[in-house]
Amino acid sequence: MSFKRFKKQNFIIDSANKFTAGKMTKRDFLKKMGMAGVGFSAYSAGMLGGPGRPFFGNVAHADGHSTTPPEVADFLREAGKPYAGTTIRYTSEATPPTNVLNELKSEFTELTGINVEIEIVPLEQVLAKATQDVQGQLGTYDIYYLDQAWTSTFSPDTIDPVEYYEANPDLAMPGFDFDDFSKPLVEGICEYDGKWIGLPFDIPIFTLMYRKDILEKHGIEIPRTYEDFTKAVEMITAAEKENNIYGTGLQAKSGHYSLECDWTQAVWGHGGSIFGADKNFSGNDEQGIAGLEWYQNLLKNAPAASVTSTWDGQWQMGSAGQIALCQSWAEFFPGWNADDSKVKGLWEMAKPLEGSASLRSRDDVGFGEIPGWGHQGGSSIALSRYSKNEEAAWLFLQWACSKDIMTRCTLIGGFAPMRNSSFTDPRIVERKGLEGSGTTRHLDTVKWTIDNVMASEPDLPIWAGVANNEIPTELGKLLTGQEYDGSAKKCMDQIAKLVDAVVDEADLG
Amino acid sequence: MISRGSLPRWLTSEHPLPWLFPVTSLLVVFGLYPVLYSLWLSFYKRNPATRKEKFLPSWNWNKLISDDRVWDAVEITLTYVVIALVLQLVLGMLIALLLDTDRKGFGVMRALMTLPLVVPPAVTGMMFLLMYDSSFGVISNSLYALNLLSPSAPILGTSSTALWGVIVADVWQWTPFMVLIMLAGLRALPREPFEAASIDGASGIQSFFYLTLPMMSKIIALAILIRGIDLFRIFDYVKVMTDSGPGTATETLTAYAGTVYFKTANFPYASTVALATLIVVLVVSSVFIKVFKIKF
Repeated sequence: MSFKRFKKQNFIIDSANKFTAGKMTKRDFLKKMGMAGVGFSAYSAGMLGGPGRPFFGNVAHADGHSTTPPEVADFLREAGKPYAGTTIRYTSEATPPTNVLNELKSEFTELTGINVEIEIVPLEQVLAKATQDVQGQLGTYDIYYLDQAWTSTFSPDTIDPVEYYEANPDLAMPGFDFDDFSKPLVEGICEYDGKWIGLPFDIPIFTLMYRKDILEKHGIEIPRTYEDFTKAVEMITAAEKENNIYGTGLQAKSGHYSLECDWTQAVWGHGGSIFGADKNFSGNDEQGIAGLEWYQNLLKNAPAASVTSTWDGQWQMGSAGQIALCQSWAEFFPGWNADDSKVKGLWEMAKPLEGSASLRSRDDVGFGEIPGWGHQGGSSIALSRYSKNEEAAWLFLQWACSKDIMTRCTLIGGFAPMRNSSFTDPRIVERKGLEGSGTTRHLDTVKWTIDNVMASEPDLPIWAGVANNEIPTELGKLLTGQEYDGSAKKCMDQIAKLVDAVVDEADLG
Repeated sequence: MISRGSLPRWLTSEHPLPWLFPVTSLLVVFGLYPVLYSLWLSFYKRNPATRKEKFLPSWNWNKLISDDRVWDAVEITLTYVVIALVLQLVLGMLIALLLDTDRKGFGVMRALMTLPLVVPPAVTGMMFLLMYDSSFGVISNSLYALNLLSPSAPILGTSSTALWGVIVADVWQWTPFMVLIMLAGLRALPREPFEAASIDGASGIQSFFYLTLPMMSKIIALAILIRGIDLFRIFDYVKVMTDSGPGTATETLTAYAGTVYFKTANFPYASTVALATLIVVLVVSSVFIKVFKIKF
């Protein structure tokens, strides 16, 4: 990478960081993006308007320089020759890994001559675009970004990467090593019916994060259970509300998938599940109601903006020093502790709260749901069965998910890697001692959560719709007082009715 | 000079068909075809799991009738249309009356009035979203300071205020359109009846109610028709500002069609909801045209 480009990338990332931290106006941000030659479309929908995950911060970009192993670089040069000049397209939400990959993709083009267009749009548009593409088998997109909730929906439309790797030795990247991917992640994110539908790409996962200064000030121990958490949250809200600090913050935007994620965590944590073994919705049983009532109580101890916030707003609450405890996406952590953060070095991470001892087993639930204490919201990137540039797209997919790129994405973005080898990479290990920008001290907790208590939503082809529509919409009605008079039971009974009807209509029961 | 005889026969024909062809083609491709395609889609039942579609003409229409969210959306759409229309009409008329003068500087003011119209609705939505923000939004904080609202109930996060929040953005952007129409009408009114009324001792208010309003009735009806149809298909502000929430407090018919389309990918049912919106608009506007005897 040339020095000039490296400086330019720093400039872009620093500007994005300042904008998401609220330290730069939108006008200045757009002006700087213009100066850097960044197209407005890439950032507009994903970062400025749409409910995308914010770019949580460059924490260690100085170490993100190219370290592509020579044999991999040689392979890409040779294998890419027949496809030089080809343009491959993929659409994605503005996730931190996608944003980083968007910055690094020119390295791939330099090696192979293959151009890559990444279209960044809000999550529901990614779903709509991918759905249209597969419906018409158009091949508009060569690669799909697939949220874990959509795995079974798109399983017929993607090519199994393991099979493709074995069937096409000329296009097989040396040392790609499928076994290096974290097994729980493969199972939870990209495996369906014994088939890989794509390669694991990112893993936002729920852990507990806390402001150590506020807990110390009030003599509160790090919460271990849901009861501890409630007590701590209530105590902090009562003591600090005048300082505009709340016990916790939520991503409870009605009708948005973020609310569904919060809800599932609460249900699993109280020993419930989304579906029972009979494949009927079970969120309206005793445990499910207990989980939702716990969540309703949390809302009283959270900023009012929680009901209009997705993960983006929740991250901003933590970044602005407005909340003291948060059980949410671990990828918030690096940005909250970055050098330019108002709360740098004050956030710490702990294992997710210990839920009910009666956590349901996988046999007690339906549709492949995995109850646990750490909700995962990972995603994969998958090769489209309808791609007209299958080989070129496959080369990009391998490059994007290679050991080197995945490790560098973690170094730049600070989020958890997909590969076991990345966790033990010396560049990542040496940053565990850091307090501010570049810290990787949270990754051990993230790995423990992935390996031991990771929870996954059910795999059923209609889940994308249910998780984005029926469940969060009715929850929103309850939480904002539009219906149900505050009764969690009434709300859950209505959701049960709606979800079971959708399942019946799809003949999945 | 090109002689008439050197041109192709179809180009010199006085028959209207060749001249209507371009615009008819555009209408067929971008107007008629999408409607017919939607109608065709609405006759299919889609299984979202298998993506297979089965010809069942009444399935989606029955579902539409029994879908509570559709009826809620109809109610919200009508509420939205009526409130926004009344506010825009009254404000539009008042501002037009103020600007209906030849005094110096008012020409510039009339031009400035049109500025909100050039802002894309999605940008307007974003602008108001920021102004309503409970932490730093100028509108929210002003209302908190005046004790008219509580910080614990964000404007767009509370079901009783969210729809008003969206309507205000719409009124801000589209009142100037009403002003332009009213102003054009006012400036075209004959002066004589007003002079005669003035000589007879009529007050300004009497002149307005007994002369201006009756003479402007056709223009007002036309303005209501144009804005009313536009308001029925409200989508941008809702999508950007509330995404139909909280709950379904701001879910209009078009927003619901969008939700079905984008979130559940049930294209046939989304088409049915969209067609239902079209039917409502056609019925309401036809009745309106009939009642107010509007002629184009």
